[in-house]
Amino acid sequence: MTNLEKYNDIFVQVFGADIALLGDNYSKETVSEWDSVHQLNIISLMEETFDLMLDPEDIMACTSYNAGKEILARNGVKL
Amino acid sequence: MLLGLEHIDPNRIAAIDSEGGKLTYGDIINRAKEIEANFSNRALCFMLVENNVNCIEWVMASLISRRLVPLILNAKTDEVLYNNLLSTYKPAYIWKNGELIRTVNPIAPLFPELSHLLPTSGSTGSPKLVRHKYENIEAAGLNISTFFELKETDRPLMVLPLYYTMGLSMVFSHFKVGATVLITGRNMTDPVFWKFIKEKAATSFTGVPYSFQILNMMRFFRMDLPALELLTQGGGKMERGLNLKFAEYCRDNGKRWIATYGQSECSARMAWLPAKWAVEKVGSIGIAVPNGELSLIDAEGNPINTPHTEGEMCYRGKNVTLGYARSLEDLTLGDERNGFIRTGDLAYFDEDGCYYIVGRMGRFLKLFGMRVGLDECEQIIASDCQTESACVGTDEKMIVYITDAAKTQAVKDALVEKTHIVATSFEIRIITEIPKNEAGKKLYSKLENK
Repeated sequence: MTNLEKYNDIFVQVFGADIALLGDNYSKETVSEWDSVHQLNIISLMEETFDLMLDPEDIMACTSYNAGKEILARNGVKL
Repeated sequence: MLLGLEHIDPNRIAAIDSEGGKLTYGDIINRAKEIEANFSNRALCFMLVENNVNCIEWVMASLISRRLVPLILNAKTDEVLYNNLLSTYKPAYIWKNGELIRTVNPIAPLFPELSHLLPTSGSTGSPKLVRHKYENIEAAGLNISTFFELKETDRPLMVLPLYYTMGLSMVFSHFKVGATVLITGRNMTDPVFWKFIKEKAATSFTGVPYSFQILNMMRFFRMDLPALELLTQGGGKMERGLNLKFAEYCRDNGKRWIATYGQSECSARMAWLPAKWAVEKVGSIGIAVPNGELSLIDAEGNPINTPHTEGEMCYRGKNVTLGYARSLEDLTLGDERNGFIRTGDLAYFDEDGCYYIVGRMGRFLKLFGMRVGLDECEQIIASDCQTESACVGTDEKMIVYITDAAKTQAVKDALVEKTHIVATSFEIRIITEIPKNEAGKKLYSKLENK
């Protein structure tokens, strides 16, 4: 599995997301289930999948599909 | 007056919210007087609340006035559940977005001591409610403020929802002592939340197990929060390792860690583990709250008096609610419990009289502190996916057994949509047949739980 596939799979696991919908419009504002529980779940899976330890700032910033990608980039994960 | 609020300086700040709102004790009393002056009859009012000072003002003023009897609901209640509640209870009034609206429904009679109503489940579609009496509010206020040793200068951070029994009991117990509640509807992953807790110098934090998982992930143990003196946990069993981590941190940093146990049927808190035992007896729910009494009974209903013997835990105290409501007519019912309840939890106690929960007799889980009915989830699956299921599990994860593998995704989607709980909380397993007895009753004991 590529890193992008692994990243997308996180959203499938957390939201049961349709991969085709993952993109610029997939965020806290557009996904009604996206609350702190889900946000933390995304973070946990990102840490687990890519063997990272994310900072509180990253956790707070993880409010969209694209923001998650930026967090990974900041932490040295290439998608 | 309720909770003795007339003895508190009316200029004292009762609550501050994270959006800049402020509320004094005098504001609440004035609002209560206004309601009293405008309503000659007691009437049911649906109150759609969020975590802000305006909602605290209206809920408390309604309770003090004894005129509006609120059903306190999440402003974001699922539409199907909300409509179900509306058609079942036909409220004369609805309060939402700061406005009180008179509906077309007539004013239905209510039991004189009925103070307020809370839903039994925040997520699944059941319109079953818990009926509270004014005495429950007094008891919760007194008992909880006593064992937490609350005082006027406390500034508790309230992140639990106002429509949730434990959140509401935080308000009662802190108002009892004239403290200032810091209330927020912000997520713990929101920067505003952290700004609020730091700037307002919160002295205590109350959460459900998941709240502490978040604190842990947010690197709470490295934060500098000198004013924070008390951490309290309720809303279901916390994972042992994390519980111990918080207990030890508090012990080593001059803070108190108090785990509690409660049910909405008993106006929140029923037991507490004193901080001195937090590490030694980690995982115990401790002893009964002041003025309450815990006991155990065996399968025949006889009392158990020896330590380390399992039985159903029972509770006696003035915080035990009146009973349930399933219809509008039920709101005229009196006290069906008379201060006593069988909790449905299996427990034992140790030599010091500290209780330990070992399992549950009832068919529900507490996922993220929210009570989720297993039978209700089976109903959701039946109606949305037209397939039979058997739901079991632990407070960490629900396991859903179905026979039709093709419906796996649909079942998961339906549960996520209706309960608003994260999809990883549900594990769908396929079996050839749901085990049943001759009478057609599902045999949950034949299913793997873990």
